[in-house]
Amino acid sequence: MSLPLLSLLVFSPLGAALLLWLLPARAVRHLVAVSMLATLALATAALLAYDPPGARFQLLERVPWIAGLNVQYLLAVDGLSVLFLPATALLFLGSLVACWNAVQQAPRLHYSLLLLLQSATLGIFCALDTVLFFVFWELTLVPMYFLLGRWGVAAESPQAAARYFLIMLAGGIPLLLAFVILAGSQPVPTFDLIALLATPLPRSTQTAVFLLCLLGFGVKVPLVPLHTWLPQFALAAPGSLTALLVGLKLGAFGLVRFAIPLAPEAALDLHWLLAGLGTVAILYGAVGMLAQTNLRVGLAYASVCHVGLAVLGLASYTAQGAQGAISLLLSFSVASGGAFLLLEFLRQRTGSTDIHALGGAARTMPLLASGFLICGLAGVGMPGTSSFPGEFMLVIAALHSHTGAGMAALFGLSIAAGGFLALYRKAFFGPVTRAAVAQAEDLRPREWAVLMALIAMVVLIGIYPGPWIEIVRPAAEAWAAGLVR
Amino acid sequence: MGGFSEILWQQQAALPLLLLLQCLPLLGAAVVFAFKERSTAVFAGKAFALAELLLASFAVSRIDPTSPALQLAERFAPLAWHAAVDGISLLFVLVAALLTFLMTLYGMSRGMISPGRLFAVLLLAESGLVGMLLTVNVAWFAAWSALELWAVVYLLRRWASSRAETQALARFVQYQAFGWGLFAIGCLVLGWGHAEASGGRWSFDLFDLVGAVPVGKFQTAAFYLLFYGLAVRTPLFPLHGWLPNMAQHGLIAVAPALMVGVKVGIYGMYRFVLPLTPAAVETWQPYVVGIAGAGVFFTAALAFQQTNLRRLLAFAVVSHTSLLVIGVFSLHEAGIQGAMLLAANFGLAATGMWFIVGFVFRRTGTTELHELSGLFERIPFLAIAFLSFGLAIVGMPGTPGFDAAHLVLEAAIDKFGALSTVATALGNVAAAGFLLWAFQRAFLSQAKAGGHDVDRTLPMEYVVCGIALAALLAIGFFTEPWLYLTETASQAAAARFVR
Repeated sequence: MSLPLLSLLVFSPLGAALLLWLLPARAVRHLVAVSMLATLALATAALLAYDPPGARFQLLERVPWIAGLNVQYLLAVDGLSVLFLPATALLFLGSLVACWNAVQQAPRLHYSLLLLLQSATLGIFCALDTVLFFVFWELTLVPMYFLLGRWGVAAESPQAAARYFLIMLAGGIPLLLAFVILAGSQPVPTFDLIALLATPLPRSTQTAVFLLCLLGFGVKVPLVPLHTWLPQFALAAPGSLTALLVGLKLGAFGLVRFAIPLAPEAALDLHWLLAGLGTVAILYGAVGMLAQTNLRVGLAYASVCHVGLAVLGLASYTAQGAQGAISLLLSFSVASGGAFLLLEFLRQRTGSTDIHALGGAARTMPLLASGFLICGLAGVGMPGTSSFPGEFMLVIAALHSHTGAGMAALFGLSIAAGGFLALYRKAFFGPVTRAAVAQAEDLRPREWAVLMALIAMVVLIGIYPGPWIEIVRPAAEAWAAGLVR
Repeated sequence: MGGFSEILWQQQAALPLLLLLQCLPLLGAAVVFAFKERSTAVFAGKAFALAELLLASFAVSRIDPTSPALQLAERFAPLAWHAAVDGISLLFVLVAALLTFLMTLYGMSRGMISPGRLFAVLLLAESGLVGMLLTVNVAWFAAWSALELWAVVYLLRRWASSRAETQALARFVQYQAFGWGLFAIGCLVLGWGHAEASGGRWSFDLFDLVGAVPVGKFQTAAFYLLFYGLAVRTPLFPLHGWLPNMAQHGLIAVAPALMVGVKVGIYGMYRFVLPLTPAAVETWQPYVVGIAGAGVFFTAALAFQQTNLRRLLAFAVVSHTSLLVIGVFSLHEAGIQGAMLLAANFGLAATGMWFIVGFVFRRTGTTELHELSGLFERIPFLAIAFLSFGLAIVGMPGTPGFDAAHLVLEAAIDKFGALSTVATALGNVAAAGFLLWAFQRAFLSQAKAGGHDVDRTLPMEYVVCGIALAALLAIGFFTEPWLYLTETASQAAAARFVR
C-alpha cells in the first residue's frame, strides 16, 4: 500500500489540533468533530485494509528515525491491535459529544489536548518500535494531566492530576529500562519489535525484562496493588475523560503486545504471578465495588475486576486466552466507555453521580437509565452483550490452565455483577427524593445518537461476534505459537 | 593513554573561526559599551548576539564530527593561545550563543534599566563562556572563567532586585572565589608536574599535560583540586550553597542563566579532569557517583520544602546537575554523550524557566508560591511553556532530555547495575514531583480574590519562550544530528578508560 494510512491516522488529530488555533472560537468544536469523524473513517479504512489470514504485521511503515541509536519510525497493525483503532476513534468521538457544551474555558486548548491525546493513543496501538511506543506512551500523560488538572470536576482535581502523572512517570522507568535491556541484549542494538521477537533472549534477561514490563504496564492496567490512583482519578475527572482512560486498556494491551511475547520463557515460568495478580484484581475490584457509593468510582473498580480477568486469561498463554482478552478489552472500550459517558451526562444534569444524591433517576431519565443498564450489563459480561464472547473464552481458558483461580474468578465476577446491580438499583430506582433529579431532562438527540451507536455495537457484537473474533483469531494463534518454543 | 591529535583551521576553513567566535562578543561588548544608553546600543547588542549564534552554527558545519581529533585548531605560542574544538565543545558553544541571544531579547521585554550597560556585560560574559569552551589550555580556561565570574558579579551588584542582595552577592563571591582558587591551584600542580617531567619547562596546554600526568598522590591532589573547583561552579551538591541565595535575590533570569545555563563545570570535567587525571578518576569514581546520587535526592527533598519559586528552581538545577555528573563519571561513551546532551537540554530548559519566572515577577512583583495563584487563566502560553521546560528537565519523550537520559541510563546499567540506575531514575520522578507541585500552586490553582491583575502575554514573551520551546522540541524529535555531532568525541573520551 502506497498511502501511509497509519501515519495519516495517527497524525491527523495532531494536524487538526494545530489547525484549530487558526479558526474562530465558534468553529472550533465543529472542526474537532470533523477531525474525529475523519479519524474514525481512517481507522475503519485501516480495519478494512487489514487482511486477517495474511502476514502477521500489516500496513507496515518503516523509516529510520534516530539512526545513531538505531531507533526507527515503525508503524504496523496486527489482529491484536487493528480493532482498537476504530474503538479509539469511536470513544473519542463519544467523549467529544459528552463534553460538547461543558467546555466553557479555553476551549481551543481543551480540544487541542484532546486531539493530542487521541494521536498519542492511536500511536500506542500502531507503534512497533519500542522507543516510538514509549514516546507515544509518555505523550499521553501531558494532555491527561492538563485535561484533569485544568478541567477536572472536583476541587482536588489538580492533586489527582499530579498524582496520576507522577505514578505514570514512575511506571515509565521500568518500561524504559526493559526496552534498553532488550536493545542491549541484541548483537546490534535494536528497538524493532519484529526483530526482537525473532531473536530469543537468555533466560535471566527474560526474567528481568518480564518483571520490569509487568511493573511498568501493571501501573497502567491497573493491577492491585498499583491501582491506587484510579479511584481518585475517577472521582476528579469528568466522565468523558475517565471513559478514555478506563475504556482504553493500554496497560493490558502492553502486556499482550510487549511483556509476554518478548520474554516468553520467563512469562511461562512466572505464569503463577500473572494469574495471581489477575485473580487478586478480580476479587479486589469486585469487593471494592461493593463499598462504593459513587457510580464513577464503582465503575472504576468494576474495570479493575474485569481487566483482572483479562490478565488471568492471558496467563493461560493460549490463543483462546489472548483472543478472549483482546475481545474483552475491545468490548470494554465500547461498554465501559459508554457507561462513563452516560455518567457524565448524568453528572451534568444532577451535579453528582453519588447514589445518595440520586435515587429514582430512571423515572425522569428513562433513556439514560436504560442505556446505562445495557452498558453496565455488558460490563459484567451478560450473555447477548459484547463482553460475553470474550469473557466466556477467558473463563474457559482460565479454568483449563489455573482451575482454582478460574473458580475464584467466577465467584468474583458474580460479586461484581451483584455490586453493579445494587448500585444501579439505589441510583435509578425507588422514589425521587432530590430536586435535581426531579427536574433533570432525559437525553438530548445528540447524546442519544452517540449512545445508540455505542449500544448498537454492544448488542451487535454480543449477538453476532463471529466476524470480530475472526479478525483477532489468526493473530492470537500466532501470538500463542510464539510463546511455545 | 593516547594523546590528543588536532586538525589545524587552515585545512577546514578560510578564516580562524574560533578566534572570530572568541572576539565577536568582545568586540560587541566594546561597541555596545561605547554606545552607552542610546537605542542603537540595544540593537547592536541583539545583532552581535545573533551574529555569534550564526557564526557558531557555521563553525558546526565546518568540522567533521566523525574524526576523533580536535579541530579548527589555532595556536599562537607567545600567548600560549591554543584553541580547538570537537563536537561536544561546539554543542556547548551553540547553547551559549543561543542563550545569550535569548537573554538580549528577554532583557528588552523585561524593560530593564540601562539596557545598554546590561548588554555590554552580557556579551562580555558570553565571551568568557565561549573562551572556556574553545580553549584547550587550563590556564586560559581559568582566566576566561575569571572574566565570566567578574561579569556576573557586576550584574549582581548593579541590577539586583531585592534588599538581601549584598548577602547573596557576598556568598556568591566567597564560593566562586574559593572554587576558582582550587581550580587555579590544580592547574599549578599540573603545570608543575609537567615541568618536573620535562626538565623545567612549564606548560598548561592540554596536549602537553596529557603526556606528563602527575603520578600517585600528586594526581589525586590535582584531581581533587580541579574536581572541587569545577564542582562549585557546576554546582554539585554539597557545594551548591551560592545558588539558592543568588537565584532568590539576584537579578532574576540573566544571572542564574549565565551561571547554570551553560554547564561549563560539566564541560571542564569532560575536557580536563577526565584526560588529565585518569587514574584518580577511576579510583574515586564510586565516591563521586555516590555523592552525586545522594545529591539528586537530597536536593529534590530540599526543593519540596521551598516556598519561593526562584529558590525551588535553584534546587532543581542542583538536582539535575548531579545526574550530569553521574553521566560523565560513568566513564562510558553512552553516559558521556548522554550527559553532554542532557547538559544542553537542561541549560536550555532551565533558562526558559528562569525567563518565565522573570515574566511572572514583572507582573506580580513576587515569586513567593503562596502569593501566586491562577496564572494559567491570564498567561496560558507562559504556563504551558513553563510546564514544557519542566518536562524537558524530567526527560519527557519529545524533548532532548529523553534520548539523553536514555543514554545515561544505558551507561548506568552497564556500569553500576540496574538497582542504582532505577534509584537515579526515580530522582527524576522526584524532580517531576516538585516542578508539578510548583506549577500547580502558581499556575493551576484558583485565582485568589484581590489578587494581582496579571497582564496578558506580550509579543516579545511569545518570541523568547517560543524560540526556546521550538529549539527544545526540534532537538527532541530530531536528535539524530546532535547524536552525530557528539558521538565520536564521547567515544574518544571514554576510550581513555578501561571498560
